[in-house]
Amino acid sequence: MVEEPRRWDPAGREEAYQDLDHPADVFLEVWGGDLPSLFENALFALYDHLAELETFDVEREEEIRLHAKDYSEALRALLAEALYRFETECFVAIRAEIAVDDAAVDQVGVTARLKGEVVDKTRHRLLTEVKAVTYHQLAVERAPEGGWKATLLFDV
Amino acid sequence: MAPALEQLSECLWELPATGGMRVPGRIYADAGLAEALRDDQSLTQVANVAHLPGILCASLAMPDIHFGYGFPIGGVAAFSVEEGVISPGGVGYDINCGCRLLATDLQEGDIRERMRGIVDQLFRDVPSGVGASGAIAKLSRKELEQLLVQGAAWAVKRGYGSPDDLDHTEDGGVLPGADPAAVSDRAYTRGLDQVGTLGSGNHFLEVQAVDQVFDREAADAYGLREGQITLMVHCGSRGFGYQVCEDYLAVMAEASRRYGIELPDRQLACAPVSSEEGRRYLGAMDCAANYAWANRQMIMHLTEQALLRSLRLQPRDLNLRLVYDVAHNIAKLETHRSGGSTVLACVHRKGATRAFGPGRAEVPPDYRAVGQPVLIPGDMGTASFVCKGSEAAMDQTFGSTCHGAGRVMSRSQALKRARGRMIDRELESVGILVRSQGRKTLAEEMPDAYKDVERVVAVMDTAGISPRVARLRPLGVIKG
Repeated sequence: MVEEPRRWDPAGREEAYQDLDHPADVFLEVWGGDLPSLFENALFALYDHLAELETFDVEREEEIRLHAKDYSEALRALLAEALYRFETECFVAIRAEIAVDDAAVDQVGVTARLKGEVVDKTRHRLLTEVKAVTYHQLAVERAPEGGWKATLLFDV
Repeated sequence: MAPALEQLSECLWELPATGGMRVPGRIYADAGLAEALRDDQSLTQVANVAHLPGILCASLAMPDIHFGYGFPIGGVAAFSVEEGVISPGGVGYDINCGCRLLATDLQEGDIRERMRGIVDQLFRDVPSGVGASGAIAKLSRKELEQLLVQGAAWAVKRGYGSPDDLDHTEDGGVLPGADPAAVSDRAYTRGLDQVGTLGSGNHFLEVQAVDQVFDREAADAYGLREGQITLMVHCGSRGFGYQVCEDYLAVMAEASRRYGIELPDRQLACAPVSSEEGRRYLGAMDCAANYAWANRQMIMHLTEQALLRSLRLQPRDLNLRLVYDVAHNIAKLETHRSGGSTVLACVHRKGATRAFGPGRAEVPPDYRAVGQPVLIPGDMGTASFVCKGSEAAMDQTFGSTCHGAGRVMSRSQALKRARGRMIDRELESVGILVRSQGRKTLAEEMPDAYKDVERVVAVMDTAGISPRVARLRPLGVIKG
C-alpha cells in the first residue's frame, strides 16, 4: 500500500491518494476529478488507514452535514467528523456520496452520505490509530493536470 | 532553508536571533546530529517559536528533535506568565503522553522461562490497539468529571494502586487548574470508555531488565539494581486529549487574530497566558493531563493483576511499585530562574521531559537529594534509559531534557523496509517477545525507524542536563 497510489474501488476508476514521506505522521496527497470525488477519496484515505476495508460491507448509512469557510476547512471538518464517529460509534464507511455546495460567497456546504458498517472485532481488522486530522499543510487546490488535489496530515 | 548553527560547546548549538526572533534558538546535539539538522525544517520551527511574545531565554530543542505541528517535537519553550502566550501546538495532540516506570522484586532469572506466559497475559489484560476501550466499566459523565479534577488519585481512591504511587508521579498525578467546564461534549464522549487503555502507534507496555547501572547513588535512591525486572508504560490521554487539542486549535486561531499576535506560521496559534482563551485552554489541558495520569495509574493496576495471575504470586512477593511517572507533552506553570530573578513561567514541553534537579520541592522527598528520575523510552529492540534531573537543567533548559529516540524514517519508508521481513521473529531471535494488535504497527515501529536512543541520551548526559542512571533492556513488548 505504500508505493502504489490507492484506489477507492479495487475494480478501477481513478487513483484516490498516495502516502508522501513524513518522519512521524501520515502525510497524504489526495486527488479527485471534481470536488465531490476529492472529498470522497479523502474519506477513503482516512478509512484505509484505520481499517482493512476489504472485510467491511454496507449495512448502515450515516449522514454528515457541515458548513465551513473554505474548501480546505470543509474537507478537514468532514474527516474530523468521520474520525469522531469512528471513535465513538466504531463506524467505518466503504462508500460515500458527496455533495458540495459552494454557491454562497465565503461558505462551503458539504453533505456526505457514508455507507459501511460498525466494527466487529471478530470479523474486521483495524490498522492505525489516527489521533487527529490536522491543519498541518492542509490545502485543497486545482491540480495543474486538471481536477483537484489536496494535501492532508493525520497525526498518528 | 534554516540559518546556520553556531557551536557553543560540545553538545550545544545556537541559532542566532535574526529577523523577528525575540531570543536565539538553542539545540542540544552532537556534531553528527547537528549536521543532519542543517537542512531540516524542524530548525525553522525552532526559529519560528522564538518569534512568539514573552518567550524567555531561548527556543530550545533536544537531540531527539523532529518536525512537528507548528512547534518541533523535542522542543521546549518557556513564556512569561505576564507577557507570554500559551499554545496547544506547543503541547501536541496527545496531552500528557508520558512514561511510567514500575519496579519489582523479581530478577531476570526468575522469569526468563515464563516470559511467553507473561506477555500473553499482559496482552490479554491491558487493552491496546486502535480504539481500545473497556478496561473498566464505561464511566458516567459525572464520574469522568471527577476523574478530570482528581487525576491519578481518582484511580487510587477506587483501589487501583496505593497512595505512595501518587508521591512518585510528576505533580502528584494531578494538575490543580483542571476546569471540567472548559471541555467540550465531544471530548467527554471520547473519554468515557478509554481509561486504562494503551492505544496504538508508538505507545507500549514493556517488560525490561535493568541492564547496566551508571550511577549507583541515584539507582539506589530510585530502588534499581542490575538484573532487576522493571516494566515501562508509554501512553497518554487517548481520544480525550486529542479532542481537547483539536477544540482549542480552532479557539486559538481566532484568539491570535483578536490579540494581534503576529505568527510566522499559523500553526503556532496561541493566546496570552492570562487571557480568557489562554486560561480556558490551560483548564482543559489540565483535565487531559489528569486523564492521562489516571490512565497510566489504571494500566499499572491492570499490569500488576496480569503479573500476579501469570506468575501465581502474592502482591508482597512481586512488590510492584512505582519508580516514577513523567509527562512529555505538556504546558505547566513553574517557577524558574531567568535573567537573575525568579519568574513564573508557562513551560511548554512537546516531546520533552521535565528534569528537575536536586533540592526542588517538586521532586519527591526520597529522590530530592539526587534529582528527579527522567524516563527515556527507546525503540523496542534497543533499550530505554533512566536518567536524573540536574542543576544544569534548571539553569539552561527550564528543567527539561529529551523524551525518546525520535523517528528518522517515515512510517511508509518503514513499511517498505519491513516488507518480506518478520519483525516479531527478528526481535524474538534477540530475546525480545513482541505482541501486537497489528503487523503494520510492528513494521512502522521497528527499531530501524528510530534514531539511536543511546546517542540521544549521551548528548544530554555529556551536556550534564540529564546524566544517565541506568539502562533498561527490553524482554517483552506489548504494542497497539
